[in-house]
Amino acid sequence: MYQLSATSLHELFKKGELTAVQIVEDTLKRIAHHDPKIGAFLSVLSERALDKAKALDQKRKDGKHTGKLAGVPICLKDNIHIKGELTTCASRFLSNYRATFDATVTRLLEEEDGILIGKSNLDEFAMGSSTENSAFHVTKNPWNLAYSPGGSSGGSAAAVAARLCPIALGSDTGGSIRLPASFCGIVGFKPTYGRISRYGLVAFGSSFDQIGPFTTTVEDAALFLEVASRRCEHDSTCLKLPPEHYVQKLKSSLQGTKIGVPWHFLEDLPPEAKKNFHESIDVFKKLGASIVEVDLDLLKTSVALYYILSTAEASTNLARFDGIRYGLRSARAATLDEVYDFSKQEGFGKEVKKRILLGTYVLSSGYQSDYYQKAQKVRTLVIAQVRKAFESCDIVAMPTSLSSAFPLASIQEPLQMYLQDIYMICANLVGLPAISIPSGFDKEKRPLGIQLLGPQMHDADVLRFAHAFEKSTDFHRAIPPLFRE
Amino acid sequence: MNHFDENDLAKLTKLCRIECTEEEKKEFFKSLKNVLAYVDQLQQIDTEGVPPCNQVLETLKNVMREDIIGDILPRELFLANAPSHVGGMIRVPPVIKFNSP
Repeated sequence: MYQLSATSLHELFKKGELTAVQIVEDTLKRIAHHDPKIGAFLSVLSERALDKAKALDQKRKDGKHTGKLAGVPICLKDNIHIKGELTTCASRFLSNYRATFDATVTRLLEEEDGILIGKSNLDEFAMGSSTENSAFHVTKNPWNLAYSPGGSSGGSAAAVAARLCPIALGSDTGGSIRLPASFCGIVGFKPTYGRISRYGLVAFGSSFDQIGPFTTTVEDAALFLEVASRRCEHDSTCLKLPPEHYVQKLKSSLQGTKIGVPWHFLEDLPPEAKKNFHESIDVFKKLGASIVEVDLDLLKTSVALYYILSTAEASTNLARFDGIRYGLRSARAATLDEVYDFSKQEGFGKEVKKRILLGTYVLSSGYQSDYYQKAQKVRTLVIAQVRKAFESCDIVAMPTSLSSAFPLASIQEPLQMYLQDIYMICANLVGLPAISIPSGFDKEKRPLGIQLLGPQMHDADVLRFAHAFEKSTDFHRAIPPLFRE
Repeated sequence: MNHFDENDLAKLTKLCRIECTEEEKKEFFKSLKNVLAYVDQLQQIDTEGVPPCNQVLETLKNVMREDIIGDILPRELFLANAPSHVGGMIRVPPVIKFNSP
């Protein structure tokens, strides 16, 4: 059962060949047996999931209509709210915080009878690229337990790669879905900015954040997008457009299409990643796409822009964690000021503190125009250059990352970690849909990924190019050896 | 252009209201200085006459709604997460510390 995609599981449920209770019990058993090896989960919602499964089986028995995700177990990154359950953001600050409302995406998944199975580990407040910044424990890469699954949505990626559940949600601010997808050999999709409501996602960088799925097939990602891309009155940046028929649109041919590659920007790619990227481009050529060169040289400023703009936004978004209304309040605090100073001292990890300090600095009086305003102007230039590139191609292709997964504890210097995101930040800077799909393995059998980006609103195109690549290759079928039973 | 020094860090921790240990201050100073030196590269980009990015989505403009009451957070739910509360209100320590006479 664990090898089935969400689409297949749902079909078997609809036909009556599997009950929701059977699916959930099997999932919970697998999690109990395998998760101790990787630590993907922060909490498992056994009782809730079984209750929902029983209710769903009764619904089907009564002949009532069941939703598009009926019978499918889904895990959420622990920065997305389920009312009444813990949302910790992998932070000591929120270790006992219970959500007071459902995220819009939570509500939409449950309306379509998806079964929420647990909350997954992440870098604290989604700040990181390795899931090593979690205040609770480190998640391990299912392909090699000494390696990072990537971050910040490492728990969700590891859960899907180990086949503990067929769909898990992450959030992507600077690559936090696509990097773990690449490192774990699965599909990771970040939709167009605003395509999925951010209501109920704990905000990190509000102009960058987007919720998206981890799946084992592109078809499952398309299915998720059909369910989750709805207008939302609580998120003013959420698109008012109806979802498209993403699953149906997967099937069109790539004959006559153009794929843009920024060869000059990619010239520093290490040899193994370069070889894999060239092989992936060849797959697209065989599918009928022609490859054109595009100029995206301004993307070399991506990391600099990201660490000014996203930290500035984060410094504002995290100001609410002050020990007053919820979260950790320091026992040492004897005055109001000490509530702020000591609660933040004890509640936040080092990386979170660094980014709040940096974000505050670039917004502070005397420096705002040199840093924040300057970065916003360069962002305008990047957006213009990217739009121009799309005038000559349908999709842009890049590697997801410089390499396969790195060993745990191998990157200590923050700047070195930040540079892992170099190829991914573009999509967040410009609000583009972007996907990472498995594209092969390196010499040590660790997964590699290729990234496809489309113009804003062209989620359907990104998905169909990805689907065509997947149908021509076998990489997505590979299951990490430790999890094959 | 990067002139970030220890005084700046001290001012920052006060602005952010985060109490940092001496060990943290040393580490944060080094990291921040590195990152600020790295982002200096943006000064090389000519942005004369370029407007700052306001919105990422091409379609977002003046999103408004009617000024009517929507969802209300029930008090019990709100207080369930409060570190300390009394009489339906959040309780906090005094603003000024009173020393015993």
